[in-house]
Amino acid sequence: MTTLINILILLFVPFLAMGVIKKTKAFWAGRKGAPLLQPLYDFLRLMKKETVYSTTTSWVFKLAPVINFAAIIFASLFVPLIKGYAILNIPFAFIVFSYILGLGKFFSLIAALDTGSSFEGMGASREACFSTIVEPAFFIVMASVVALTKITSFENLKYILYNSGIYGILIVVLAVLALFIMLLVEGCRVPVDDPNTHLELTMIHEVMILDNSGFDLGLIVWGSTIKMFLLEALIASLIIPSNIPFIAYITAFLAIIFLISVIIGTIESSIARFRMTHVFEFIFIMSIMALLILTLTTYRIYGI
Amino acid sequence: MGMDFYFLSLLLLIIGGIVSIFAKEEHKMKICSVFSGLCALLLLKPALISLYTGQIFSFEFSLGIFQKITFAIDSLSAFFLLVISVMCFIATIYANGYIKPYLNKGLNTSSHSFFLMLLIASMLSLVTAQNALFFLIIWEIMSLSSFFLVIFEDNKKEVLNAGIKYLIYMHICVIFLILAYAIASIASNSFNFTDFINALNQNRHLANIVFLLSFIGFSTKAGFVPVHNWLPEAHPASLSHVSGMMSGVMIKTGIYGILRTLFIIGLPSKLIVYGILILSIISALWGVLYAISAHDIKKLLAYHSLENIGIIGIGISVGMLGMMWGNETVALLGFMGAILHVLNHSIFKMLLFFAAGSVYNKTHTKDVELLGGLIKKMPYTSVLFIIGSIAICALPPFNGFISEFLIYAGMVLGLFGGNIASFITMVVAISALALVGTMAILCFTKVVGISFLGNPRSEFSQNVNSDSEKVMLIPMGVLALFTLLIGLFPQFIATLTLTPVLNILHLNTVSAEVFSIFSLMALISISCFIFIIILFLIAGLRFVINKKTRQYSTWGCGYDKINPKMQYSASSYAGLLISTLKPLFKRVLHIKKPKDLFPQNAYYEVKIEDIEEAYIVKPLIKLDEKILAKFERIQNGNIQQYILFGLVFLILMIIGLIFIG
Repeated sequence: MTTLINILILLFVPFLAMGVIKKTKAFWAGRKGAPLLQPLYDFLRLMKKETVYSTTTSWVFKLAPVINFAAIIFASLFVPLIKGYAILNIPFAFIVFSYILGLGKFFSLIAALDTGSSFEGMGASREACFSTIVEPAFFIVMASVVALTKITSFENLKYILYNSGIYGILIVVLAVLALFIMLLVEGCRVPVDDPNTHLELTMIHEVMILDNSGFDLGLIVWGSTIKMFLLEALIASLIIPSNIPFIAYITAFLAIIFLISVIIGTIESSIARFRMTHVFEFIFIMSIMALLILTLTTYRIYGI
Repeated sequence: MGMDFYFLSLLLLIIGGIVSIFAKEEHKMKICSVFSGLCALLLLKPALISLYTGQIFSFEFSLGIFQKITFAIDSLSAFFLLVISVMCFIATIYANGYIKPYLNKGLNTSSHSFFLMLLIASMLSLVTAQNALFFLIIWEIMSLSSFFLVIFEDNKKEVLNAGIKYLIYMHICVIFLILAYAIASIASNSFNFTDFINALNQNRHLANIVFLLSFIGFSTKAGFVPVHNWLPEAHPASLSHVSGMMSGVMIKTGIYGILRTLFIIGLPSKLIVYGILILSIISALWGVLYAISAHDIKKLLAYHSLENIGIIGIGISVGMLGMMWGNETVALLGFMGAILHVLNHSIFKMLLFFAAGSVYNKTHTKDVELLGGLIKKMPYTSVLFIIGSIAICALPPFNGFISEFLIYAGMVLGLFGGNIASFITMVVAISALALVGTMAILCFTKVVGISFLGNPRSEFSQNVNSDSEKVMLIPMGVLALFTLLIGLFPQFIATLTLTPVLNILHLNTVSAEVFSIFSLMALISISCFIFIIILFLIAGLRFVINKKTRQYSTWGCGYDKINPKMQYSASSYAGLLISTLKPLFKRVLHIKKPKDLFPQNAYYEVKIEDIEEAYIVKPLIKLDEKILAKFERIQNGNIQQYILFGLVFLILMIIGLIFIG
């Protein structure tokens, strides 16, 4: 039952969350905005469209969206959703999670270079570079969480807030902030990247997929909404207590997902994206959060 | 019986080497591959028996004053025997194709084939030698024969330079080994490793010193920072099958040495264990960082050897920490991950070197910036290189992931290990390994994207008209298959590493911890299959839905006079990270700015030097030269004076003996 609901959530909520972001942006701009399910309609429209391939590209370019999407779907099996249960619950899930996303990233990077376009190479270079800062920080956060709970699967997230006293609360606040920055980087949102801009030189992820179209573009768009949703779900399972009733859990879960979407939409409406040099500094905030979490965890366990 | 097979196979290698000297140039490599194939086949039986039953085959003989010289195949030796013989066999097959352009050019192919066989024979005998003296002799034969392989193209100056650098590093390495074994044999009054065990167990201080010295020696061979500088020079200088063998197999003898020392001496002191862990982390990071900055495809792969040796080192030190805490699971995971990574690295690194060699054979350049578009001209080589890249980046479902996953798992469980120091070290190691992983992705997307994809960037890749021959592609295909099989069925392949690890830990029984590790691997294997099913479902969906396609040129932002030179280059791809980490590199710029109204001949060149070499090794050499210049007077070519020196020395010796004795 939980698994079934999890699958349903995985299929529909990512689109809804994206719709909420768009709606929020429309609200701040004083527009009525597209319907909440517009991202889903866009996706279905892309599915029907013709795909254009550059003459420079090879099979790598055609295969990359499929592998990237499969990797994201596979990664989503490990992420705790309703009641903190993942569809596939294995020990050391966070390692498999980030390495399989790494496989997807590997292919999307080489697909960008496959087009022979300098813009796409630039985007790929930035994307690869930013993930070198994000991943170690994520691993520090997860290692601290594992050390606190002595559980190695992703289910450990739900135990921190309620079992570690004041440290637990502090750690959860910091972890939420760290994961939120990771979400902005991986999901390519303002202030790291602007999904709406048309200036190729300043883009990161969007510029990598300039040459994708039709079905492939649809898969990429869907994949990145799911990727964002996964990080939102990690944040949600940090916060929600697992012992509340089923319906209450679903409500709280959806509320948090949509709240994060509203926050992202508000940020996007209120500030512009950073200059490339400042993006580095911004992502380093995540590393600092991770180190703070590590310090607090050390205090909590060894109590100096 | 097992030893008969073993000595027969060694004999076959030597015979093969000698026969190949007298054969025609075209047939030399064929003879080598036949004989090394036979050798691998012969060794399979004793190695597998020893690996699965834990049986020890040994052979003992006396030679003059040396009593009880033992050669033995125990499980650790058996594992390395298997890796060395099979991998070298694959390398010699590949060599058949690779060496063709070098034939009948007046190069010394006889010495090449002979030393190739000698190298294999020496590596095989090294891992079974149980006597320090013979170990050192074989070690020296191995270093020298690989030196002769490196300087095959001795008409090139940079090849000779690289060879001499390699020779010097290897002799620094052997000095430390001689010191270590001299101390141990004085303490035990014997040259046998088995006698070392008893003597060193009584004196732990001495044991630590011996461990440290032999670690320094072995780490030079393996390529740990700061004694790694021979690697990025020797690999680009030698032929691809040789660099594949050296990087894939030979540097692992350093790892074997470390494991054997651990086996003999037991756990060293805490300080040394933490030191090795930190050194391994630095090596891994150093290797991948400089690999990103290097644009010579073989130099880059050589730096990646550094990275992988670092990862193996991390695994070994996690294992040692597990032993120290008495935590069996952590120890098992660390050592299993490390030993499995030895196998995995030898597979994918050979694959990558072979693919790089195949590219070099066709394009005659190793510079990534000058390649491009090879995926259309050399489809098979490109696919194989991409598979190797995924494996070396440790991405599932390929083999690199499994060993790194085991090491990660060991580190994560090590978080509960006990004290605050171990906790912080483990977290640092985990995040360092994550950093290494993402940087490896950056590095290999650079190589794959710039040299294999896009449009040809110069005539070098423009003029390629066919892929390499089958004799080169098939060994690479076999290696690629290995990477996938180990990735998909780790629980079966990892049984190979079980007995050596249990022996290192001095455990006799297969405990519940072992079962839990194997069930973890089975879980990973099942997950990989789920991933593949998802992948096929989506790919199938794509074929069903996505029917309308069209070809068009790449979006050029409205600009329609696009040429291949406008593609993103390797330096700019890596530039963002390198400029962020500026202090870690020494950048030597050669700039000639355009001048006047009609500028001519402007250029810009960046060369990135290893800071360890630039700021530590080179000043040391300068200092050395300065001091030695004072003794130049002694070397004056006058024979009478030399005889006088000898006489003075003898007299001094006699006086010394009278006073001491």
